[in-house]
Amino acid sequence: MTDRTNALRLLSRGQILTVIGLIGFGFLIVRAMAFTPLEVRQGAAQKIMYVHVPSAWAAGVAIMLTGLFSAAYLWLRDERADRAAAASAEVGILFGTVMLGTGPFWAKPVWGAWWVWDARLTSTLFLYLLFVGYLILRDSTEDRGMRARFSAVVGLMGLVLVPFVHLTVYMFRTQHPEPVVLKPEGVTMPGSMLATLLVGVVVFTVLYFGFVMQRYGLTVLDDLRQEEMYDAA
Amino acid sequence: MPPDNGAYMIAAYIVGGVIVLAYAVYLFVMARKLK
Repeated sequence: MTDRTNALRLLSRGQILTVIGLIGFGFLIVRAMAFTPLEVRQGAAQKIMYVHVPSAWAAGVAIMLTGLFSAAYLWLRDERADRAAAASAEVGILFGTVMLGTGPFWAKPVWGAWWVWDARLTSTLFLYLLFVGYLILRDSTEDRGMRARFSAVVGLMGLVLVPFVHLTVYMFRTQHPEPVVLKPEGVTMPGSMLATLLVGVVVFTVLYFGFVMQRYGLTVLDDLRQEEMYDAA
Repeated sequence: MPPDNGAYMIAAYIVGGVIVLAYAVYLFVMARKLK
């Protein structure tokens, strides 16, 4: 089976997953707004959590998998690992943008400020900018081997930073709250709210894989097209 | 009585939805070009 056939198949499966994810996103919004109880102290603004936290989850998964694919590339020098790392990084930036774009709408009514420079928010922004730099680095390096090596090193740095960002709420005095699910004491949240949050996590995970599969397939198709143009010239 | 701040929730959902949808459309358009 040719590379093109494989790429088209992956692209098609990614599109199906994306459509399922988008339908799930609509379901999540309806469930959050109409079928999940209001938090008494924070009001409706607390429901931003059902998009904000899953997007942070998806961004974290994306960054960690980018790091693992980067390590795999440095170890094996396999072009597939480099493509997977690049696809995951781009999708990670997308979910990072959702996370950073929704957070201020929750912060303003609850904290009284759109943004505070506490350890969690600042370290998250740095990690986000590191990945923006990752994509700029890829775009600005012509040689494929050099591009893959340089970006793999940056991808690995992101992987190292993820645990630090997660632990900032324990290591420093922060405005950002501690996790309500991923913490040693267990879940401290009513069941109906937790169910909606888990729906969000599933939806964003499906979207992550749908987007990454599409992006990977598109990169292969683009590389093949460039090779054809090079051969024809 | 919970505070009345539903507008923030709506705004955040719109921002999140538009970003995700825009990227999905971008990928579909790219796919049509490269297929």
